[in-house]
Amino acid sequence: MQDASEHLTTNDRRDFLRRGVSYVAGAAAVGGASIATASGLSANLPPNEPQWGRQLGTGVVENPYGLPSRHESQVVRRTVPWLTAESISSISMSPIQDLKGIITPNGLVFERYHAGVPDINPDEHRLMIHGLVDNPLIFTMEDLMRFPSVSEIKFIECPANGGMEWRGPQMEALQFTHGMLSCCEWTGVPLKVLLDAAGIQTEGKWILAEGADGAHMSRSIPIEKILDDTLVVYAQNGEMLRPEQGYPLRLLNPGWEGNTSIKWLRRIEVGDKPWHHREETSKYTDLMEDGRARRFTYVQECNSVITSPCPENPIRRKGFLEIEGLAWTGRGKIKGVDISFDGGVSWQPAQLKGLVLDKALTRFSLMTQWQGEPWLIQSRAYDDSGYVQPTLAQLREQRGVNSIYHKNSIHTWQVAPTGEVKNVQIT
Amino acid sequence: MFKSPKSIVALTFAVSCAAGLVHAQDYQIGTPATALEIAGWDIDIRPDGKGLPVGSGNAIDGEEAYEMVCASCHGVFGEGEGRWPVLVGGEGTLADERPVKTVGSYWPYASTLFDYIRRAMPFTAPMSLSDQQVYDITAYVLYMNDIIEEDFELSQQNLAQIVMPNEDGFFVDDRPDVQNPRCMSDCADPDKLMMKGSLAGVTPIGHFVEGADAPAASHSGQHDLEASKEAERKAAITGEEPAVAEASEPAAMSAAAIAGESTYKAACGVCHTNGLAGAPKVGDASAWVERLQQGNDLLISHALQGFAGSTGYMPAKGGRADLSDEAVTNAVLFMVESQH
Repeated sequence: MQDASEHLTTNDRRDFLRRGVSYVAGAAAVGGASIATASGLSANLPPNEPQWGRQLGTGVVENPYGLPSRHESQVVRRTVPWLTAESISSISMSPIQDLKGIITPNGLVFERYHAGVPDINPDEHRLMIHGLVDNPLIFTMEDLMRFPSVSEIKFIECPANGGMEWRGPQMEALQFTHGMLSCCEWTGVPLKVLLDAAGIQTEGKWILAEGADGAHMSRSIPIEKILDDTLVVYAQNGEMLRPEQGYPLRLLNPGWEGNTSIKWLRRIEVGDKPWHHREETSKYTDLMEDGRARRFTYVQECNSVITSPCPENPIRRKGFLEIEGLAWTGRGKIKGVDISFDGGVSWQPAQLKGLVLDKALTRFSLMTQWQGEPWLIQSRAYDDSGYVQPTLAQLREQRGVNSIYHKNSIHTWQVAPTGEVKNVQIT
Repeated sequence: MFKSPKSIVALTFAVSCAAGLVHAQDYQIGTPATALEIAGWDIDIRPDGKGLPVGSGNAIDGEEAYEMVCASCHGVFGEGEGRWPVLVGGEGTLADERPVKTVGSYWPYASTLFDYIRRAMPFTAPMSLSDQQVYDITAYVLYMNDIIEEDFELSQQNLAQIVMPNEDGFFVDDRPDVQNPRCMSDCADPDKLMMKGSLAGVTPIGHFVEGADAPAASHSGQHDLEASKEAERKAAITGEEPAVAEASEPAAMSAAAIAGESTYKAACGVCHTNGLAGAPKVGDASAWVERLQQGNDLLISHALQGFAGSTGYMPAKGGRADLSDEAVTNAVLFMVESQH
């Protein structure tokens, strides 16, 4: 290990830099008193009794709604400003490089707004169901919460996740290559139950879902999806929806592109044909190489990415290493994930760990050793429909490079002998 | 805790299946929606014209409305300002290396244009246009794309008959379109692998790379960055030193102005930070000289009641009817006093 650390000076320095921020902040908190020993090591380390063991901490309800440790302040949503004209109709990414397990904390769920976050008074929010139904209905939030509730863990992903890299790699961090992705436990009512209450007519084949925000975001959804698993949800991870996620009410189409899960949901109209609105014609259609475009590309196909190591999580020590990552599919459950260290020439199976749920993030893991060898490391997921995550070359051959959406190809990280990790593409 | 959701789902499924076969479970929850309530919210338009309101409009009348409420973002000729969407042109480019997707080159139905303008435009004041204005502006955008004549009277009766150039350019999702076999060894020739690295310095990575020369991590930072690049570009042409803002001591602000800052950030900044919709940018002295001479009372009155000038358009309270008069007044004072 002594030999290894000599080779890792760059990383050690970065590691120290990161920790150093905590030490400085810690020192400031106790009135600037110097607690460093002559050797330069913290007086909070053994054999010394640390500062926090020699004083009292804060009391109850100091933060009535708790906050993360201030030493975790780097775990935040981030945006790439040049992607959009301004921040009101824009997107931010979840810090998936820092998250554990499969649940995204509510404050870190990625954001996508078309007209900003409305401030909705739940007492004045209504869901209207009308169109080809026998009994057009209006529900208050209180009404909706009287229905028997269901809670399900499902991912939501923007179909543009990874879409900046059809022509080549340009995002220098996992948060930007794959962070338009989150997974929560959602609580609400199956939309089918509400449509049953309204009495859907036999000609009713599509619904239009519409938001109450300034964009009045709207999407057409075929009735088959509603009968399958569409939910109207009012809670996420045990609390009411965050404003960013549609408070007080949103649609959830599990496994489908995120924009179909209309936020701030106020209206469901049943019709016999799709509406072909702006967000399903001008946007969220996939332009092919021949100039024609796919529409109603709802499903988020099987995808995966290694979250450690990644650019934000370089390898800091030689020796034992757990490769970890996330896999997901809009078609069902993840069946397995393979790992390649040589750019896709050879593969070995990883383990799925923890919960393996339908249309939820699934965590995979592979224990290995690293002795400073350069890697081109990849993950390749496959799902229970038999679909295997494709290569970028295969997607480009079918679609060209202008489709923006639904780039679910195998992703490559280049691990340097220093342990640093870069985003690259292999062809 | 992870067992129970499954069993709840199973139970609900059993209940709803059984109910579906016999009769829907009647929870007696909800209130009948009246025709009046539905009419107020039922704003959607379909390609067959279903949902279009009574009325008509044309490009001649649409030009004025377009220039007042649309051109500041979409450009006088629909060419798009900055990163805002281009509305016109691009025909025949969809198979090009850099396709230009516009209303004329890409959108399959004219109904979508009417629907979208009505539900979401103008960006800063959605649902503020009359049906007449929506017909006029829709006609003008179609006219700019050479889809209708200037004097064509676009109406509830004929909008669905407009044929858009790219109507047949779409097909329904046919994925999965690739089949990758789950190969485990000798899957590629290692000698033929080509590796392409990331462009360096295009994403904000200062949070994990020591000393990274990171670009802006926020939209306001991005605007500053672009402004300074533009100044450098101009300086390179003129040979003059880029103008550096004088670092003068900021003048003390009134209590009202200080109180107005939060309203400015939450509401006004959308336009007044970036000059959207012709709004005078805070800190842009040339845009404020004449306005300041008019006096605060007039500026406040314009902000409260709305204003249509030669360069821009501001709805009453910037479209934020929820703001109190006092909050808007304070925000105006904040903007005015920020010029000093």
